[in-house]
Amino acid sequence: MTDPRSPSGPRSRGFEAVLIIVYALFALSATARSLVQMGRDFSFAPVAYVLSLLAALTYIAVAVALVRRGRRSPLAVVLCLIELVGVLAVGTLSVLEPALLADDTVWSGYGQGYGYVPLLLPIVALVYIVLGRRARRAEPAEPAAAR
Amino acid sequence: MLALSILVAVVCLATTLLGVYYAVRDLNADLVLLGACALVAVVWTTLGIALGIRDLGGGHPGDRITLYGYLLTGLAMTVGGGWVGLWERSRWGSLVIAVVALVAVVLLMRLHQIWPGGFA
Repeated sequence: MTDPRSPSGPRSRGFEAVLIIVYALFALSATARSLVQMGRDFSFAPVAYVLSLLAALTYIAVAVALVRRGRRSPLAVVLCLIELVGVLAVGTLSVLEPALLADDTVWSGYGQGYGYVPLLLPIVALVYIVLGRRARRAEPAEPAAAR
Repeated sequence: MLALSILVAVVCLATTLLGVYYAVRDLNADLVLLGACALVAVVWTTLGIALGIRDLGGGHPGDRITLYGYLLTGLAMTVGGGWVGLWERSRWGSLVIAVVALVAVVLLMRLHQIWPGGFA
């Protein structure tokens, strides 16, 4: 049962839809958290709050890139890589130099406060995008049945 | 209030299980699952209104901005998830509804931490 009015075109987005909803959710909550923290008392933990804002902007960018360009866009890959680097860097920073981050950020402790989803999310997204590329490179006679 | 909280949890968990079942069975989100998602939105809104009334009635939530932020996020996410579930005509649309219902449970638990007095 296909819906010809589907905005994503004749083919459904598949698992990408799940990624989009999760990124949109993180974009919303990270942005809200970041704005509230900065609005309350930016001087309390300026480094942490700027990092929170960067995380929020990254989530927004990935969500928009996936919605508008889909998994095939190189932009989505680059943004997910930036996100992964960010989680690993901020997570490591929070472990090695906790004094620098006076308050928690989304990426503190590798996303510990969010069930480590911020760490798993870019990995899942990148695996999904890479697998999609491999499937498309396979011969047309053999669709992505191998994986 | 506690009963309402339990109701929200039950509706959300049931919707999660239903969505996962649909995803496993490769079913698109039909009216039953979409209805369940709508029900999550309705009970969530009811909880939000109840907490708001208690707040107006003299309760002292420690952090109003966070409290209402979580409530609004939960609502936006549920409606957005239902929207994606409607348009994504595949098992993944069903999984999206399962995901937002599950996250709603997590948000509910956080609400209890943000304002425990509101549920007492």
